[in-house]
Amino acid sequence: MSDVPFPPSGGARAPTSYPSISSIPRRSSYASVVSGNALTPSSSNLASDSLPFSTFDRVHRAPFGVDADMQMNSAWRPESLPPHSRKYAGLLQSDVSHPGLLDPPFLSPSYLRNSRYLSRLETAHRAKLTRESNPPLSASPSNAHLPRIAPSHRGMTYDIIEKELPATDVLSPLPSQWSSADKFTGLELSNDSLDVRYTGPVHKHDHEAAALRADHPMPPQCGIYYFEVKIESKPKEGMIGIGFSSTKASVERLPGWEQESWAYHGDDGKSFFGESQGQGRAYGPTFTVGDTVGCGVNFSTGSAFFTKNGIFLGMSRALENGSQLTRTGNAFHELRNVKLYPSVGMKKLPPVHLKANFGQKPFIFDIDSMVRQERSAIQSEINATPTTNLQPPLDESALLQELVAQFLAHDGYVETARAFAEEVASETLALQNGRNEPLKKYEVEEDLEAINRNSKRPISNGFNVSNSPEIRSAILDGDIDKALKHTKAYYGNVLEENPQIHFKLRCRKFLEMMRHSNEISTHTPSARSHEHAVFDHEMELDNETDGSFNQLLTEAVQYGQQLRADYPNDENGGDKKLLDDIFSLVAYPDPKRSVHGHYLETKGRAAVAEELNSAILVSLGKSSAAALERLYQQTEVLVNEISEDGGAGAFINVRNDVLL
Amino acid sequence: MSRTSSTATPTWHNFERKLEEVKPSKTDINYLVMDYLVTNGYPAAAKKFAAEANIQLTTDLQAIQERVDIRTAIHSGDIQVAVEKINELSPQILDEDQSLHFALLRLQLVELIRVCMDTPGSDITSALDFATSQLAPRAPTNPTFLADLERTLALLIFPSDKLDPALASLLDPALRKEIAARVNEAILQNQGARREARLRNLVKLRAFAEQKARDTKKDIPDTLDIGLVGDSHNTSNSNDLATNVNDIVMSNSDNDQMIS
Repeated sequence: MSDVPFPPSGGARAPTSYPSISSIPRRSSYASVVSGNALTPSSSNLASDSLPFSTFDRVHRAPFGVDADMQMNSAWRPESLPPHSRKYAGLLQSDVSHPGLLDPPFLSPSYLRNSRYLSRLETAHRAKLTRESNPPLSASPSNAHLPRIAPSHRGMTYDIIEKELPATDVLSPLPSQWSSADKFTGLELSNDSLDVRYTGPVHKHDHEAAALRADHPMPPQCGIYYFEVKIESKPKEGMIGIGFSSTKASVERLPGWEQESWAYHGDDGKSFFGESQGQGRAYGPTFTVGDTVGCGVNFSTGSAFFTKNGIFLGMSRALENGSQLTRTGNAFHELRNVKLYPSVGMKKLPPVHLKANFGQKPFIFDIDSMVRQERSAIQSEINATPTTNLQPPLDESALLQELVAQFLAHDGYVETARAFAEEVASETLALQNGRNEPLKKYEVEEDLEAINRNSKRPISNGFNVSNSPEIRSAILDGDIDKALKHTKAYYGNVLEENPQIHFKLRCRKFLEMMRHSNEISTHTPSARSHEHAVFDHEMELDNETDGSFNQLLTEAVQYGQQLRADYPNDENGGDKKLLDDIFSLVAYPDPKRSVHGHYLETKGRAAVAEELNSAILVSLGKSSAAALERLYQQTEVLVNEISEDGGAGAFINVRNDVLL
Repeated sequence: MSRTSSTATPTWHNFERKLEEVKPSKTDINYLVMDYLVTNGYPAAAKKFAAEANIQLTTDLQAIQERVDIRTAIHSGDIQVAVEKINELSPQILDEDQSLHFALLRLQLVELIRVCMDTPGSDITSALDFATSQLAPRAPTNPTFLADLERTLALLIFPSDKLDPALASLLDPALRKEIAARVNEAILQNQGARREARLRNLVKLRAFAEQKARDTKKDIPDTLDIGLVGDSHNTSNSNDLATNVNDIVMSNSDNDQMIS
């Protein structure tokens, strides 16, 4: 961690008596951030810089927006990026604010970037790192590193939970190096186990060889998997086979000579597919020292291919028509449950030196284009899919209108829903102009009806649901009292039935009180500097604001004590841990910058607001998710279903493809 | 949530559980909606949504309105007006897309013929003149243009109440709608924006994924309701909740008056 970049603001001067997120470089002063400037949409830079959540969010959005993000961040990026950060800056944007996370670097082969598989892998990887390095709450104040990144970690944890894809089973990681266990013992590994050498004794016997496999099997979820091997040296009469095999195949034989083993051999350019020793099929040119051979598997079509020095040698006919395949039918469909590992093998004639690239470096062959083509072929297929049977009898444009109208009404965007209904109505009217018959498909009445159904249905019963958005906006404004009052008045049993939401609302009220007192204290003209804050907090408070600040703080503390009394344990919706965390804010002279400072951010309001809104909707007998959300969920799950075996879904990344 | 026995299978439960694990963020969903409102041209709703959902509107409302005006013109059959407006925005749009330009001119011919058909005994000369001067010179450049032109002129030959479905479809507002959508996409592309709303991509992807999953015999429920026509989604549980709602209404009516 010695190469952690210190921010311009100078971590060394930062107070050490309490943990701080001050090491995240900010463009603005702390005062302007808390004063609320940073929360207006117009200064989005400030807002995003000050939120620990945002960086990770950008990682998710990074693939297509790298350039924009780089520009946006460059202004405050520390100049002294460690080399590994620069190298992977395009891959993992979070490295600047979370320098520790890249240790070890996350393998991200170019052709898989933006892929569903890699996104899932990355999510799991980050979750793991977060778990591993989440510092204990009682972190020693003198340890500057751990607490510094703690708030960001917390933010990421939150985000991971939100974005997590269905983790039906644990994803197999990518092959990243040669296995030190699954190999012929005489082979030597070096260079992070990417290089393999045979320097042992000479064995002339034809059938003897030395082979090894990678550390992990090729994951079918990739859709297409690819790796390259460069022949650094070999004797003139040496033989090399490059391909893949299951663990059934012996490592004392060349790949391709065994069952469940496939390879392209350099001495004769033939492809070998199991069992048929010496009976390979003519496939490509021979290869020798200095050549780079690539091996790829397309799991969606069940075919393999090889490349030589960047030249595509064709989809292997041998794989499609080869001896084993004709016998077993469709090789890869039969082998769905067989784990196939990248593998190389060589005749035992020293010295042999092979160098593998599992995606750590750019490939010689333009595999990215091949994957892009596959993706765009599937994209055209998607575009050609009719959508009329999703919700008959609605046609596509009517379906989209209904989805939006229902979402707006469902989530209580009443004004928008009305405006939308009017615009749809006038659109329909224009279309009818000059015709006498009514439109047969989408009627605007339906749309209005949807809005009525969802937002005003109970009006006829003398009950106004549009209180729901009002309650939401009260929470978003930080007026928890108003929200509590209205909720109790209109939806009394919602709080009773959801004690955990009631608890969270009350916690939010406490946090808002803390925010309020905090704003008063930091608004003073001679705002306390950090150094003073630590030592002189009690003595040097400004006289003017002392009164109101102290009073507000006292009120907050009293409310907090009440909360503690009401929720002594985790019963009745309480959460002692949360209570301890937020109550500890009182102890800090500058709560906003403390380890629990993130609780004070206004972002927390939205979460409570949505939770309450959902509970109200549920209590009214509506589905808590709008059709649009349900459609998104279904899409994600369905795509996952069709990606597991390397099918079309492997080339689809719902969030990337649709949202970015 | 109770379901009818036919749908409450282990497969259904398993699928529902997986759905629950997907938690699209509100930000994403709001973004999808805003993108739709902007792309498909609902400026008033976009403006309200920006305020209500606290999203920054990055597109100029005026630019959306221009597209709406063109859409309205096409929907109303004022193709001449639409073409003028499109050319005001950028003459490139139609210059570079001959197929779209021809489609607009053909629609204009349909509208001229429609006028003739709606007013018995009217003069068809204007329609024929338009066909001769505007469409005929372009038709030979592309076989489909010629076929489209011939098919359109056939409208003049047959009596309007005895048109075969293929011909009748030319008079359907769906054609205006289709052309208006194509024009919208062309303008967006010309302005460097995405041609289609992201929501449309999502809906297509949803349909595709289900199709593929069924083709490959994945273990998914026999029917997948998107829950739009809330009734089919909620029917089974609306009974027990209906009483619930009434209870709330009853118990809160006092409060209601008190508050207001």
